[in-house]
Amino acid sequence: METFKKISLTLLSITALLVALWIGANWRHLSAFPSILPSFYAKEYCSCYFVMERSEAACHDFARQWLKIDSFELDKDGRRVIVQGMGRQAVARYSGERTGCRLE
Amino acid sequence: MRQIAMLLCAGVAGLCFWTACGPGGDAQAPQLFPLSPPPRSYWPTRDWQISAPETEGIDPAALKKLSDYLFTRSGDEQNRAGIRTDAVVLIRNGKLVYEQYARDFNASSRHNSWSVAKSFVNALAGRAQLQGRIDIDQPAWRYYPPLNTPGKREIKLRHLLNMSSGLSFQEEYEFAPLKSTVVAMLYTSGHHDMARFTGEQEMRATPGEYVYYSSGDTNVVMAALHSGLNDQQYASLPWDELFNPLGIQAVWETDQVGTFIGSSYLYMTARDYAKFGFLYLNDGVWEGKRLLPEGWVDFSRTPAPGYATTRPYDELENAVYGAQFHLLVGYPPTGIPSKYPDAPEDAFMAKGHWGQVVAIIPSLDIVLVRLGDDRDGNFDLNQMMRLLKEAVRR
Repeated sequence: METFKKISLTLLSITALLVALWIGANWRHLSAFPSILPSFYAKEYCSCYFVMERSEAACHDFARQWLKIDSFELDKDGRRVIVQGMGRQAVARYSGERTGCRLE
Repeated sequence: MRQIAMLLCAGVAGLCFWTACGPGGDAQAPQLFPLSPPPRSYWPTRDWQISAPETEGIDPAALKKLSDYLFTRSGDEQNRAGIRTDAVVLIRNGKLVYEQYARDFNASSRHNSWSVAKSFVNALAGRAQLQGRIDIDQPAWRYYPPLNTPGKREIKLRHLLNMSSGLSFQEEYEFAPLKSTVVAMLYTSGHHDMARFTGEQEMRATPGEYVYYSSGDTNVVMAALHSGLNDQQYASLPWDELFNPLGIQAVWETDQVGTFIGSSYLYMTARDYAKFGFLYLNDGVWEGKRLLPEGWVDFSRTPAPGYATTRPYDELENAVYGAQFHLLVGYPPTGIPSKYPDAPEDAFMAKGHWGQVVAIIPSLDIVLVRLGDDRDGNFDLNQMMRLLKEAVRR
């Protein structure tokens, strides 16, 4: 039993170490990862609504992803789209007739 | 849970990618079908002249099969399943012979096109080459100074146009977002200045020797085209050099430093995309005037020379790439099969994510624009090209 415990503990430590190493090696990617959801949603919704001039419903269908966002605001007067998801906020703004929308 | 699955996918995809390797080859690359555009009775700068399919040698019954294929929906807006065509415009002998729209799009709707934009970057580079503003055989750092660093000084604009810069990139969207360089470039750590972000990637191959489809390469070209211009001149460059001469109304989005996102964000109507295709069908001539250098269209539709020395990897068989254009041939010297065996071999195309296509077919004097929003991979471009080919009677 003692041996079993030892082996288990060793395996667990090795796994934890490997996971920690992997997280360390990929930290740059992992830290940026949560932003993808709100950034994609905000940018693609903004272009869909202000550039392609689609309906609000069509633009939600265009921009939504597998993971759900937490909040959404379409600021028609300010020509902005503000989206929160995975603990991050993203804002996309319509910048003009020629240049459409841009992620801030 | 979904997130964990995606993380795992990203890791596995990365492993698969780097373990691939293989031989080069010495057989002949495919021959180009000669461009010989007939004299045009008019140019569609103001708008397309309309003609009946049968008048232009297209069989209406066979055309209906193509139309049925493209416009039969199997899913709805909720599940986003099946073929979701938004717009089709067919140009034969310089006339518009068929157009159809769906999902609330119409002839005046601007549609996104994702990587179709890359082919427009090719056109702007061609304009700059013709005017002597750039020489694609010069090192890219002369036009884009951030590349003036060890290991990157050998990258030429030609290499970037051929997707052969050697700069590391991972062009993955939905299935591997964690390490996807393109997702980082568009939405997270790289979105402020996309060219700079790309230029900061490490080198993984000698410039010109390794073909890898990279949105980053395109954005570096788009930044290099700023060379010699002030910000105001650059901001109107696509309109001055391309859109206004062709009569195109377009939106082209920029990153935060004002560089047009040449890889991804261009919007115009289906009829206007067809005008762009028509420029290439006519070997870069418009209204009788040469807009692109002699031989530029041939350069654009010739497989990137780097294929001869590119070791095989998973995505290599997606489609053979020329210079910011997709080709429909394979690459026999290294055993890459054509992904579109039923398409006319001489076709080349501007092609974007989720089913955007501007196909140019010199042998049939055709431009076909198909825009959509396919999310599940059911749209079969080979099938579309086969049905189109079968509709041409003479």
